[in-house]
Amino acid sequence: MSGITWHYVLKFIITGDAAVGKSSLLVRLTDQRFLTNPDPTLGVEFGSKLIEIPEEGKIVKLQCWDTAGTESFRSITRSYYRGAAGCLLVYDVTSRASFTNARSWLADVREHADPHLTCILVGNKVDLCEAEDGTSNGRREVSTAEGELWAKEDDLLFVEASAKSGVNVEIAFEQASRDILDKIKRGVFDDDRSPGVKLSKPANSNLNIDQGSTRPTCCS
Amino acid sequence: MDFLSQTYIALRGPTGAPQTASETITKLSDRLSPGTLLADRRAAVLSLKGLTRDWKEDVGENALPGLLEVLQNDAEIDPDIGKAALETLNTLCEVDENTKDLALRHTEYVLAKEQPTHTLFALLGNSNFYIRYATIQLLTTLLQNRRQVVQGYFLKAPSGASSVIAVLEDKREIIQNESIALIQSLISQSPDIQKVLAFEGAFEKLFHTVTQENGVEGGIVSQDALKCVDGLLRFNTSNQSYFRETTLPSSLCSLLQFPPNLQIQDPVPQEFSLQFWDQQKLINVSLVIGIMGMLISSKGNSAPDSSVFVRCFTELALSSNAPTPLKTQALRLLPDNLTFPLSGVILTPYMPVPETNGEEWDRLEPASALDVLVELAVHGEYNGLYRDKRTTESLELRSAAATVFENFVNKEEIRQAIVQGMAPSEATNIPSISPLLYALCLPPSSPINFANVTSTHFATLLFAQLLSSSSRSKTLARSIKPHTAVPTTPAQGQFFVPADGPLREGAEVEDEDDDDSPQSLLHLFNENLSLAFLSRSRMESNDQEAREWDKLIIAYLCLLSQWLWTDPKAVREFLDTGGLGVLVEPINQTTDAESLIPGLCAFLLGICYEFNRQPGEITRATIHPIINRLGVDMLVGQMNRLREDDRFKAVGPTSIVLPYPTAISLRSGTTAPSETEGEIWFDWAFVDFWKSNQYTIQRGLGTDPNAMSPSAGASAESAMLISSLRDVIRSQAQELEEMQQKIGEASAWETKLSELQAQVSQMEARLVQTDEKIKNLRRSKRTCWYCWMRSAPSERRIRRGLGRLGLMFLRMRGMKKRMKKRKKIRTIYHCLSWSMC
Ligand SMILES: Nc1nc2c(ncn2[C@@H]2O[C@H](COP(=O)(O)OP(=O)(O)OP(=O)(O)O)[C@@H](O)[C@H]2O)c(=O)[nH]1
Ligand SMILES: [Mg+2]
Repeated sequence: MSGITWHYVLKFIITGDAAVGKSSLLVRLTDQRFLTNPDPTLGVEFGSKLIEIPEEGKIVKLQCWDTAGTESFRSITRSYYRGAAGCLLVYDVTSRASFTNARSWLADVREHADPHLTCILVGNKVDLCEAEDGTSNGRREVSTAEGELWAKEDDLLFVEASAKSGVNVEIAFEQASRDILDKIKRGVFDDDRSPGVKLSKPANSNLNIDQGSTRPTCCS
Repeated sequence: MDFLSQTYIALRGPTGAPQTASETITKLSDRLSPGTLLADRRAAVLSLKGLTRDWKEDVGENALPGLLEVLQNDAEIDPDIGKAALETLNTLCEVDENTKDLALRHTEYVLAKEQPTHTLFALLGNSNFYIRYATIQLLTTLLQNRRQVVQGYFLKAPSGASSVIAVLEDKREIIQNESIALIQSLISQSPDIQKVLAFEGAFEKLFHTVTQENGVEGGIVSQDALKCVDGLLRFNTSNQSYFRETTLPSSLCSLLQFPPNLQIQDPVPQEFSLQFWDQQKLINVSLVIGIMGMLISSKGNSAPDSSVFVRCFTELALSSNAPTPLKTQALRLLPDNLTFPLSGVILTPYMPVPETNGEEWDRLEPASALDVLVELAVHGEYNGLYRDKRTTESLELRSAAATVFENFVNKEEIRQAIVQGMAPSEATNIPSISPLLYALCLPPSSPINFANVTSTHFATLLFAQLLSSSSRSKTLARSIKPHTAVPTTPAQGQFFVPADGPLREGAEVEDEDDDDSPQSLLHLFNENLSLAFLSRSRMESNDQEAREWDKLIIAYLCLLSQWLWTDPKAVREFLDTGGLGVLVEPINQTTDAESLIPGLCAFLLGICYEFNRQPGEITRATIHPIINRLGVDMLVGQMNRLREDDRFKAVGPTSIVLPYPTAISLRSGTTAPSETEGEIWFDWAFVDFWKSNQYTIQRGLGTDPNAMSPSAGASAESAMLISSLRDVIRSQAQELEEMQQKIGEASAWETKLSELQAQVSQMEARLVQTDEKIKNLRRSKRTCWYCWMRSAPSERRIRRGLGRLGLMFLRMRGMKKRMKKRKKIRTIYHCLSWSMC
């Protein structure tokens, strides 16, 4: 409970098809671990992490809501879009279907989320592209160029990452955070009106309890 | 006027003939269709609303579809029609005594499709007071009737969460009151809804409400909002981790006036320790600390804010003027594996100044939290100020303190250090006087002092916790010499000197006849116990005072049972100071009225028999005929009678305080717990101890005096015994080694060698037998198996020891005192086979 150590709190959501590795990315971010056998997410799970954006001199607290990719939870997970400042839209580079479906996820996000939401497209599981024989393509079904192209068309940030090896995971969140901070600087959100951004306040100012008026007399 | 004439036409009917009510209702219901003019629809709804009370069934049957249509099409645009439709629907769905089925049928109709519920959640976002208010009411009714269905629709409603949050922000008091009730049932048992609301900022909004209502000083709105916070967190780990990431945990501290950044060495501010309290504030604070306790227990309590919470609880319970139930709650919320440095934290307790009605307080000398905790358990709140009143509430607090103590001394080093502190120190030979020891040794006085009995009773509970399953602590305890340790002034005065004012009276120690050799603690207990038996025998059995003597006797017997268990040296001392006579008499003179004491005496007698393994005057062979004379069946019967006693059966891990019998019969349960009198007989540790060991003792009673203890393999404490035997082996092995050196110089006697070899193989053969026995035991009883598992590694070690011994014997060529040696070996063997049976 030692004071406030961050400048901004940013709310993130992580969406995409089931089993593309959303939970794995979050666990990698928060715990530097990789689970080979995670349970499919039911509804929504929460995780958080402090990161530093050195060139802005800011410390940012990421609050991430990892959503279920399973269709039956879709209406529940939608409730989270509206309040988010950033979104990780995840697909699996070894699954073309997950890449195709990412379009419908994006449509969902665009429909329900704040118009200024920053979205980064993340192609996960690049570790699987290093095939045993040393050729560099392995089981890849979606090329980097293809991902990049779509990201550009739809005005998304883009990165390829692996929750298993950890490559580019923190970078994905950093890039998105940097973009949000930039939007704040340019005044895109008029005074912090994005639902997903909160400025830190001086310690405990959100609770001003009147003190002192009701105190027993004490004769010591 | 328009409305009246419309209604009039509707009622009169086209022909002007009077209509029945159901005809009217059918007509009005027809007018709800979108084809009709808005004004007509409005008039129809208003008329239906008026008819609903008396014609619930007819209105429900005819108007429900139309009302739902109006709700969807008109409510947003026309608040009047919206309000009337909502209220009508609410009346139709509200369950009252006579129309339960009907109301549920209507509810089911409204909930048949998701659309009406979605409309309701949209209307919740409407800022018109009447619409919002009526919507909250209808949703609450629907939730009451069919919660899960509404919850399912909520999660799919496009604007559900944001509307609910908007309602939370509403400043209008009536809305505030109603909305919190709505949220409470909406989040009930639905982790998904709890998470969505947390995400939408419900925690922040609820805390805002609490703050606006003047925090814990606030009324029912504060209370409800805190309840909601609790509901969002209680069974939701995801929300808990989110909550921890916010600044709200510190806000919880601030609500209690506790500085969230307090360092361990800093004192707490007085505005935390001394506050004004009333019933509503007690409820509010109870909710706040309930939330804090949940945040401590749901994670490894290593995180920094957890230790602030622990400190806050400790201060609230031990140094503040908070109401007693809150202190109890705070102690119970402390984590079981308390890692907090209780002895290192210095508190400044307060005491109410007498006759000032709680308005003036004295600050006492600072003392360590551990000392204050012990003092609280032994003497009660405020330095024992109210120790004469043994209310249920105050005993609950003291028993909670005893439990915290138990958890704290769970670590072997800590309990040893505490017992060590009571024993004479080598340097000065003048031991420090602990308040615990002081209360433990209070001599029984006649007429009996009720408060002292309770103090001694709690002291025996704490002391038993220090000794249980720790042979080292038991050894240390045997060296305590209370007579030199207990001075004639109250020991707690040392820690708790009021800043001004005289010492508290009431705890003076009578000067006993001076004895030259200082008495041991066991000896003293023995004396006090016989004294208590003597005084007790002079009472009528239904006497109030007799009940207190019984409690004191039971307190001593419980402590002795736990102490003497697996401690042959303590058994020796107890028997040598006359313990046998003290026990046998009460078993013999049983009256029907008392079912506890004979059973406990029988149990302790059994322990004395079982663990009488040290040479001395009173051997197992001495006790055996006594047991036979009393009759094993009779002894077992006494023990079983104790088990059946309600005072024993009613004890649970966290509930040891029982209502005092006269208090129940006289006041028939209408008094508050702050008034009702309570009492304690046993703590859970003893009940647990008894239940795990009664069978062993029972079986032991029937065994031959020469038989080895069968209990060692079958009790959870065998590991301890074996480890002490291992020590014996180790030291004897060392002796043998020394011997061997001397022997090596002497000439060789080959014949001895073969003799010894024969012995070793004999021993091995018997070890195999023992193995057989173990296997049998294993087969026959699961608990035995479990214990054998636990002792298996030590058995292996013992075997290794045996092997080593064998080798040494080989080398023992020049042994002169061979007969003596052989005897020694046999003793070792006895010990071993005893431990392994
Ligand atoms: N090789 C490899 N496997 C991964 C990676 N990330 C995730 N996985 C595996 O992919 C499977 C699914 O991972 P999850 O993190 O549960 O996927 P999810 O997107 O959270 O799935 P839902 O919660 O059902 O929506 C697991 O077996 C992971 O071990 C990665 O970067 N590389
Ligand atoms: Mg997942």
